[in-house]
Amino acid sequence: MVNSDGQLFTIEGVAAGLIMLFSAYLVVSATSIYTPGDTHISDMQLEQLGSDALRMMNTPNTTATAGESLLQNITKKNDGERFKETFLTFCNSTTGGSYDNLQLSADLFYRDTLTKSVKQFHFAHSRNLTGGEHAVRVTEWVHLDLIGGDPLSGAAPGIDTRMQAVLMEVLLWRD
Amino acid sequence: MARLNDDAQWIVLMGFIVSFSLFFLAIVVNQSTVVGQTTAEGVLEFPKNDIRDVRYEVLACSDLLPADMAEVQKDMASIAMDRKNAVVSFRISDAPPGSTFKKIYEIHYNNGVTAYNETANY
Repeated sequence: MVNSDGQLFTIEGVAAGLIMLFSAYLVVSATSIYTPGDTHISDMQLEQLGSDALRMMNTPNTTATAGESLLQNITKKNDGERFKETFLTFCNSTTGGSYDNLQLSADLFYRDTLTKSVKQFHFAHSRNLTGGEHAVRVTEWVHLDLIGGDPLSGAAPGIDTRMQAVLMEVLLWRD
Repeated sequence: MARLNDDAQWIVLMGFIVSFSLFFLAIVVNQSTVVGQTTAEGVLEFPKNDIRDVRYEVLACSDLLPADMAEVQKDMASIAMDRKNAVVSFRISDAPPGSTFKKIYEIHYNNGVTAYNETANY
């Protein structure tokens, strides 16, 4: 037999159900956008870390006017191996015991006055790029004095023997 | 039981309070990720390191001969345009006679979103 007892309880039950459904919807939609938000945050940290490491390498350890930074020296000598070791040591060091697992791929960009174009040569890499990496790009201008000679010429076709600014571009990703 | 039983109203009230607090906690969780995302996007979009880097390189050019400086200016303009879609130009000139300073640096950076212009006396 149908009677009208307990209507308030029914309404309360419906209201509670709606509230729970809406709460569940909020939580589920929050977790679904958590992933892109999270990669932005780690991208930001990675970019800052890489820029700082490059700047450390590009800071001369002497105040003399002819003082050359490690990065200038490495670039001049085209010493990709040393670049890779130093950069990864800076980036992978943690306060804890174990090392982080960052990988790099570096290219150098310079201007060729003869062809009036910007050219590139591959400088160093610790892993081959497969295309699946989620890499960030960090760059540093390197001030090069190549008047005395052209040690890069083997690797960098057409690089001029003059004072110049070249751009070191590093792709950095966590493997 | 023909009439509504009004026992245990405290328990019902507590139930409401708990469910509402869960609701607000869900809103907090929902919003916190958006905050992290927009903040990180804002930081990534602002070319702080690019500007710092351009300044650093310009200051390194202080003692160059005029001919060398002209080449470096062209280097930076064309490489920055090529790799970063940014307009970069700078000029280092001697301060006028009688000035307290020795040199004047003018640095311009514009990547279409952020423009940075600086005149510095040294």
